[in-house]
Amino acid sequence: MSSSTIQVTDSSELSAQTTSRLVLQMARRDIATLFRTPWIIISRSLAFIIQLFVFAYLISGLVISYPDYFRYYAVGAVVSTVASISFIIGYDIFEEAEEGLLDYLLTLPIPRREFIIGRALGGAVRAMIYTIPMFVIVAVLENFANPLSLIGAVLDLFLIAFGVTGLSITVAVSVRSANRFDVVLALLELAVTRASTALYPLNFLPAYVKVFAPFSPVTFAADSARAALTGLGLDVLGLVGLLAFVAIFLGLGATFYFRRLEGGVYA
Amino acid sequence: MSSIHLISRVIERDVKILFSDTFLIGIMFANFCIDLFVTAATFGNLIGSSYFLRIAPGSNLITAMVAAFQSGRDIWREKYIKDLASYLLTLPVSRRVFALSRITGGVARSVVATFPGTLVISYLYGILFSPRLVEAFVIVAVFSLGIVGLSIAVSAFASTIEVFATVRSAIQLYLSFLSTIFYDVSLFPAIVQPIVQTNPMTWAMQAFRELQSQGSTLYPISILVGPSVAFAMLGALCYLWYTRL
Repeated sequence: MSSSTIQVTDSSELSAQTTSRLVLQMARRDIATLFRTPWIIISRSLAFIIQLFVFAYLISGLVISYPDYFRYYAVGAVVSTVASISFIIGYDIFEEAEEGLLDYLLTLPIPRREFIIGRALGGAVRAMIYTIPMFVIVAVLENFANPLSLIGAVLDLFLIAFGVTGLSITVAVSVRSANRFDVVLALLELAVTRASTALYPLNFLPAYVKVFAPFSPVTFAADSARAALTGLGLDVLGLVGLLAFVAIFLGLGATFYFRRLEGGVYA
Repeated sequence: MSSIHLISRVIERDVKILFSDTFLIGIMFANFCIDLFVTAATFGNLIGSSYFLRIAPGSNLITAMVAAFQSGRDIWREKYIKDLASYLLTLPVSRRVFALSRITGGVARSVVATFPGTLVISYLYGILFSPRLVEAFVIVAVFSLGIVGLSIAVSAFASTIEVFATVRSAIQLYLSFLSTIFYDVSLFPAIVQPIVQTNPMTWAMQAFRELQSQGSTLYPISILVGPSVAFAMLGALCYLWYTRL
């Protein structure tokens, strides 16, 4: 009896170790692709710098109805950038499917659950690696120095990255036409970041956007990060919303991914 | 078959590709609506109502840019994914004519995809029922010519879709933020001003603003033609280069 109990415990521990190892293995693969294309990091960073030091700087000079719009925009730009970059995993998966590589990957001795979690984790970590230098620039520029605030904001960034990765995987495996996929993903990226309070204060959004912007995952992340960084405290609602977003889209991504295993044609 | 007939067949094929997926046109219009009725409307609230009208054409020109880049993406897919490039090059049409036809097809697609957006902007500018509506379409077509050329040039060199998407983003960035969509050229530092003044988006925006103020579009369009033709030629040359491989 006792020996049987010990055996079961050992087996589950072993299984947990194997599961986390496989998830990390999958995540490592996606992270490794980032370093194979360093010029993408450079071009994305350049995009952020132009957005911040050209667009935000010039436009905040025109905005007189909202004081210190530059600071508002700077934090939001980091959140919207991490969301945008997290969408890239969808392009990877779509390309793998088109080229037949996905079919090969699915023959690997990795359970499907670990496969999808690993890919989402890899996509999220990759997005964080992209974004941390941008976050540091904003932190230095705006004097965000409290370590707890910075950790809180990084957590928000990670959660939005993880959730958007799941969303991107869901789209990549549910849209079969390449043309559609490209435009749908661009539209989704635009909708998720623009119809939120990441870049624009809620009071200035048009009435029809104001209705649903508070429920956008990017709003949760942006408001929560701003609250942490400006010393307003912990935005519990934002964090709960982000966790729900991660759970929903990771689940949906996994479901659609499994359906893809039944076959289909990428046109 | 005469050259003109062949050109029209190639253009027809490209336009048909666009219409093979009407959902795509709908999504592009949705894209335009988000840009206009979310971004531009919000900045209108933040800065002033006249600012909304000032930046409104930018939404349509950004949609034209997205549609124009779809042409380059199609050419990239023909080469790397569908393996159609070799077949297309066996068609009884000279490569130079074929390259120019692809560019013209891309412009036609872009004008079609932005058709509803151009009408919306023309309505906002009060020229929907005026002959000046034609000028609005000319501006979109000339602007698209350059972007189609750029997208074809990128497709000739991009080996993966990520590379294509990244270069496209960089070009979009240049066209959007280093132009006069959002602010006047005088607000830029002196060192950046030449980049802004040679940006095709700057002159396309200027031409649209002339429509709003009932001014002449001849000057901005004649300047816009310069970079547009240069980019179109670059696209044609890159296409010819890549067909030699």
